[in-house]
Amino acid sequence: MLYADFDADREYLINKFRHPVFEENNGMDQEEIRANILAVAEPLMKAGLSKPVIKARCFEYVCSNMYIDVNIHDVFPGFGCIDRKRRPLAPLLGYWNSQIDSTVNKECARICAERNRAGLHMIWKDFDHSVPDWEALLSLGYPGLLKRMQEYRELHKKQGTLTPAVAAHFDGMELTVNALLSHIGKLINFAREHHSGNPRIEREIRSLEKIRTGVPEDFYDVLMMVYLHFYYCEHIDHMQVRSLGGNLDGLLWPYYEKDLKEGRYTLEDFREFLTCFLMQWGSIDNYWGHPFYLGGTAKDGSTLYNELSFLILDVFDELHIPTPKIQLKVARNTPQKLLDTAFRMIRDGHSSLVFVSEEGIRKMMMGYGYSEEEARTCNITGCYEMAPRGTGNGTGAAHINFMKIFELIFNNGVDPATAYTVSCPAAKLEEITDFDGFLKAYLRYLDELIETCIRCAGGNESNLQEVNPSPLYSITTLNSLKTGRDSFANGNVYNNSGILLCGIGTAVDALMAVKKFVFEKGEVTLQEFKEILLRNWEGAEELRSRILRDKDKFGNGIEQVDRYAHLLSHYAGRKINGRPNARFGEYRASGHCARQFIVMGEKTGATPDGRLAGEEFSKNLSPTMGMDRNGVTALIKSVCTMSAMDLPGDFPLDVMMHPATVQGEEGLAALRGLLYTYFAKGGLAVHFNIFDAEVLKEAQKYPEKYANLQIRVCGWNVRFVELAKAEQDAYIKRVENVAE
Amino acid sequence: MSVTGILLDTKRFAVHDGPGIRTAFFTKGCPLKCLWCHNPESISPSPQMGFYADLCSRCGKCAVVCDKGAQSISAGNRIFTPASCCACGRCETECPGGALKLYGKKMTVEEALALALEDRDFYEESGGGVTISGGEPLVQKEFTLSLLREVKKEKIHTALDTCAFVPREVLKEALEVTDMFLVDFKHADSSRHRLLTGQPNELIKSNLEFLSSSGARIEIRIPFVPGCNDSVENMESTGEFLGKLNIEKVKLLPYHSLARNKYKALQMPDTMPAVDAPADEKIAAAAEILKKYGLNACSGRE
Repeated sequence: MLYADFDADREYLINKFRHPVFEENNGMDQEEIRANILAVAEPLMKAGLSKPVIKARCFEYVCSNMYIDVNIHDVFPGFGCIDRKRRPLAPLLGYWNSQIDSTVNKECARICAERNRAGLHMIWKDFDHSVPDWEALLSLGYPGLLKRMQEYRELHKKQGTLTPAVAAHFDGMELTVNALLSHIGKLINFAREHHSGNPRIEREIRSLEKIRTGVPEDFYDVLMMVYLHFYYCEHIDHMQVRSLGGNLDGLLWPYYEKDLKEGRYTLEDFREFLTCFLMQWGSIDNYWGHPFYLGGTAKDGSTLYNELSFLILDVFDELHIPTPKIQLKVARNTPQKLLDTAFRMIRDGHSSLVFVSEEGIRKMMMGYGYSEEEARTCNITGCYEMAPRGTGNGTGAAHINFMKIFELIFNNGVDPATAYTVSCPAAKLEEITDFDGFLKAYLRYLDELIETCIRCAGGNESNLQEVNPSPLYSITTLNSLKTGRDSFANGNVYNNSGILLCGIGTAVDALMAVKKFVFEKGEVTLQEFKEILLRNWEGAEELRSRILRDKDKFGNGIEQVDRYAHLLSHYAGRKINGRPNARFGEYRASGHCARQFIVMGEKTGATPDGRLAGEEFSKNLSPTMGMDRNGVTALIKSVCTMSAMDLPGDFPLDVMMHPATVQGEEGLAALRGLLYTYFAKGGLAVHFNIFDAEVLKEAQKYPEKYANLQIRVCGWNVRFVELAKAEQDAYIKRVENVAE
Repeated sequence: MSVTGILLDTKRFAVHDGPGIRTAFFTKGCPLKCLWCHNPESISPSPQMGFYADLCSRCGKCAVVCDKGAQSISAGNRIFTPASCCACGRCETECPGGALKLYGKKMTVEEALALALEDRDFYEESGGGVTISGGEPLVQKEFTLSLLREVKKEKIHTALDTCAFVPREVLKEALEVTDMFLVDFKHADSSRHRLLTGQPNELIKSNLEFLSSSGARIEIRIPFVPGCNDSVENMESTGEFLGKLNIEKVKLLPYHSLARNKYKALQMPDTMPAVDAPADEKIAAAAEILKKYGLNACSGRE
């Protein structure tokens, strides 16, 4: 079966990670494996084995027992453990987590639970956001990584640093990789037994064999290795893998050129490989998506975009899948044709493209002490976050709710919904007599939230290796071998922890409402406001309507308003950035808030900006939905009053536009102008949603006709028709506010 | 005392009114009365209050804030007396449902310039600038010329969107401060032109010849209205005339009837043709005719 029959493959590929069908008795169900894990681990724990070794044995158990498939409708193998939310090692890791949280981390765990429940924070142990050293993986292969690891083990022995903990770390890596290699052997045997002679499968067997015994040699092998490593690490070893080999086009280019020159593969073959490769993530379809970079700049200053970049975009465009999420590195040398291709894809509804500024990233990273080379070659590690290639690992340790602070001020530190009390030396409501006093109280509570957040994140992150050791990630990381420390927990060169700030835009609107309606116009007292908010605006609908319609909202390019966005981000950034974390790294404030603008919104009562209890906040660095009324240039001006130096974790903006505003060639030119101006003003990442409200209403009415219509929700993309009705309505409301 | 204009709208990030990203100012007052006009609020030079009845809750807040007696509620109905309206806009601000829309706000040249300067960075990046459109901007020639002059002083690109039905002397003044003219051309035949717009086209043609011979950069905009000016014959005549001039680009702007609601809100007789928007193929065919005359013609949808 060759690529020309992709339509025949499509069904298999889309169902591969959703509703796969396996040969009977070839393995055990994921739930069954998961249910057995503690029984597998228990005797090992009783025998006193180390956690890395126990985890590695469990990894081996999963590999030995899960379903497998090598199918003529795909060029990559299939696996039984597909449900990312029900990963098989979770019961073991959950057990270790509860052990830690009931002993050494007891106090922090209690505070986190209470505060997360009250919606003040979301503090957790994050095992996402890691990126392996792809270059080591591809240049050494698994056998080479094992050899390198053994050399370092010997070195530790000679140096006298092979403590039991370091030895356990090395044991865990060795056992895990050996289990993985045996499993690849099993895949090869399966393929031979089932499809011997099929040219597609024979090619797949050759590729798997190269990876089992050596290094990837061609274009297909590289994709195979990236895919396999992603699967084993993310789905079995319970350690999220971000990016796809760094800048995918740059990574693949030498192999592509060589394969073409030597006549190994045709253009049709490359399309086939890329189609199947991208479809793996299209099938996995986690709501947070899977980001990777394209492009960038070479050391000599030339662009890294090449014909392969266009081929990847073209294949992606053809597939209509919301993930993987392509992020385009943009500099002045980026070919206009590339930008225009991307903008056309966005205008056609393929919205899962993000533009990031190479120059902005360079300035920010160098400002935090990274080298120019580290900045140039950085990898994406999250929705927007970045870290030096092969040497950086960041966690998203905590979120802070900027809107909950209003409830705390109005209720003197007590969260009305849960009665959780925050003790803080902020002024009492009755003592506040002017806006300065209100703002000071806001900042005192913000101090408290930041300090508690850092304290609790520190507790959580002191013990990450005790909860989830990371052998498969660690073996790719040279520094982990040198130090003998777990690479995810604290063994990489840069082990930073992100603190995500949630609701800055709406917080500015709320501050403005208090300033104007309480202290300038005197329409309502603070005490009266407190009662109104507790009643969720009941009986004060008119005041609410006036506040909502008031022009002083973040996102409109009004300097007197935007200065408070700068204040909040700068104040929080100054308190967070550079503070040491518990992983030999530093904290970084982040401007993106994942889904927390919705989740925390649900846990937050009515606020002075006119927001009703339970409604969402502004997301990322964007304004409150529907409140930016002066157009996109004003929006960019507002957002860029904040600085990436204050929000070095990431600095993303979502722009909503009506198709009529950017139609035609002139529209493309305008989009380029917007992009480069945003970057010149210091923005790091931007995403454009270009939709007509009427189209979205049609999609709501006739979802079957608009199955592929994509929108960007936060750091990821979704199909519009898959959103809940309320979310669709909110999105339509926002789009309706965008002028033609 | 600073020069004041009456504007029906301002638009930042205007993309289709001249090159690059622009800020567009739309002045009130137009000597033509095109049947298809999609900005009927631009015809009268005076401020006008639009009333969108569907959004009115008859709460009476407009009547409370209006001290001129222009707004009142009687027997549950809102009554508007245009003659008493001073266009202060207070009723619009107070209206909770957004039922009132004041078309025609006063703005000084200094205020307009300050707004234009807000987006200077975007103009520089995209090769954009400031466009004055309307209505016919030269109806308010003092404001328009003064604003163009001030914008030029800031070394920002200027464009003037004109119907060219203006005195030659005024156009000459505009030429000194305008980097690009966006000129509407509605019909090649003068008597038909008069029927469709209320005025003949000789002055327009002659002004276009003048601008062309003066070396002005010119983009022509043809509102492409089915049944009014979309005939092959008119396209041929238009091509013949424009082909002799130095024109950078001709855009065929497809007719749409989205403005119908505004006629109702302004209590103006709806003159918009009851026809559908033209098909892409029809516009492309018209553009092909114009191209025969050496014109760089394209659809406004491209």
